[in-house]
Amino acid sequence: MMTSLAKYRHAFLVGLQSNIVYRWNFGIRALFSLFHLAFVFILWGAAYSGQTDIAGFDLNQTLTYFIVILMMQFFIGAQNEDYQISEDIRNGLINQFLLKPINYYLYRFSIFVAARMVSGLLALIPLIIALPLLKDHIVLPDELWRLALGLPAMFMAAIIQFTIAYIFGLLTFWFLEIQSFIILSLAIETVLGGQLFPLDLMRDRMNWLFNLSQYLPFYYQMYFPTAIFTGRLDQASTLTGLALQTFWVLALLAFAQFLWTRGLRRHTAVGG
Amino acid sequence: MKPIDYIRIWLACARYSVVRTMMFRFDFIMWALVEFFWMAVNLLLIQVVYDHTDSIAGWSKYQMLLLVGSSMLVQRFIMGFVWTNLFEMARNIRTGHFDFFLAQPGNPLVMVSTRKLDLDGLANAVVAIAVVAYALHQLGIVPSFSGLALYVLMIFCGFLIHYGILLITVSLTFWLGAAQGIEGSYFTLMEFSRLPRQAFKGVTSVLFVWLLPAVVVSNVPASALIHGFNPLNTLWLLAVTLFWLSFAVFVFNRGLRRYASASS
Repeated sequence: MMTSLAKYRHAFLVGLQSNIVYRWNFGIRALFSLFHLAFVFILWGAAYSGQTDIAGFDLNQTLTYFIVILMMQFFIGAQNEDYQISEDIRNGLINQFLLKPINYYLYRFSIFVAARMVSGLLALIPLIIALPLLKDHIVLPDELWRLALGLPAMFMAAIIQFTIAYIFGLLTFWFLEIQSFIILSLAIETVLGGQLFPLDLMRDRMNWLFNLSQYLPFYYQMYFPTAIFTGRLDQASTLTGLALQTFWVLALLAFAQFLWTRGLRRHTAVGG
Repeated sequence: MKPIDYIRIWLACARYSVVRTMMFRFDFIMWALVEFFWMAVNLLLIQVVYDHTDSIAGWSKYQMLLLVGSSMLVQRFIMGFVWTNLFEMARNIRTGHFDFFLAQPGNPLVMVSTRKLDLDGLANAVVAIAVVAYALHQLGIVPSFSGLALYVLMIFCGFLIHYGILLITVSLTFWLGAAQGIEGSYFTLMEFSRLPRQAFKGVTSVLFVWLLPAVVVSNVPASALIHGFNPLNTLWLLAVTLFWLSFAVFVFNRGLRRYASASS
């Protein structure tokens, strides 16, 4: 068991080192996301003009939601894992994993965790710089259960994020070009993952879409943990959500394993 | 080369792009869908925000739709006509393949910018036009011929401004060797063009309304359709177009001097 863990610890450490090399890329990305935050502040600031409440939340609560979701993107969001996996398959790099006692999913997941630690910590820098401007807008509930349930939700959200990216990467077994699939899915994830607006805002006029979204995995990517932390979900809904999130984690893992075995049947390893 | 020669070459390139797209039909459909979905995402945002408010900075829902539609239209034209060309230019500068364009008998900037057409971007321009038309219909506005001509001219100005901004970003490759986050910077700027000018206050107003040409690109054409011709706004748009386009050409030409080709 320990030797088995040691393999992935090494993968994690290598991942840490290689991601630190790309610190500028992450830094630039984090800087751009601050601009996105400015867009959000301008849009919602204007939407709140003349009213103090939208769907039961004030302006600062809504802005806090977007700040937390931004942090989520850097700490648990899959970024280019799908492309990396796709490249591994295309270049035949996965061949080496087929011959060694290492699980490709766990290997990639270890690197993903390392990458998110680096990108998450780097994203904190521009946020800390912007803190004097942001701090008056951050309003977080102080109930302890939110932390106790929010952290496992965040961890499972990371697994869902990564596994979806992994699944898209595996599509390379069948398709030469997967970029369009990825960007298409990104559009769906952006909406149904709550990155565009808090999903509960659809309750009034588009309740059907809100209800539907709760049964899809995207809801459990970003929106669910963010909604727990920012007070947009009560305890009962959180517990139900955790059960559904667990289901999606298991279902996606099973589907990924299925695709991996089916994909390998199509895969041809050439050369030595 | 005479202008007619450039048109002939461009037509030949366009024909080649159509043939290439028809060869990879599935790819074309997928990318057209990708762009369509992203446009739908933006429209959904408007729908949800306006479910909870009647006005954003004095703009009603369909006025906002007109604004976002205009912004989309400029972006689709950029995607259709120049995006791939400029994106590939950055790569070609790095690899030295840019020599190919310098060896051609025409102006390098024109040759490099007009090589390929992206039909998926252009297909979605039709969707953006439909969004604008729908918003106009809902607002009960029937633009006159001159109003429409002015709008088209203004969208063209927006196209030139965005072309300028992209060209500057890509030209930085001459100095930096890599234009990291080129899409990032462009899309980040473009995001602000979907907001009404009146929503910007203080520093953001100075930055996005006056210093960077984010807001002018969409707000001036949309306002012209809603409120009619405004000479001051029109002059502002023309001046911004002239400035950014000349500045971009200047940066490109300066960069060209630094281009050292690839070692062989």
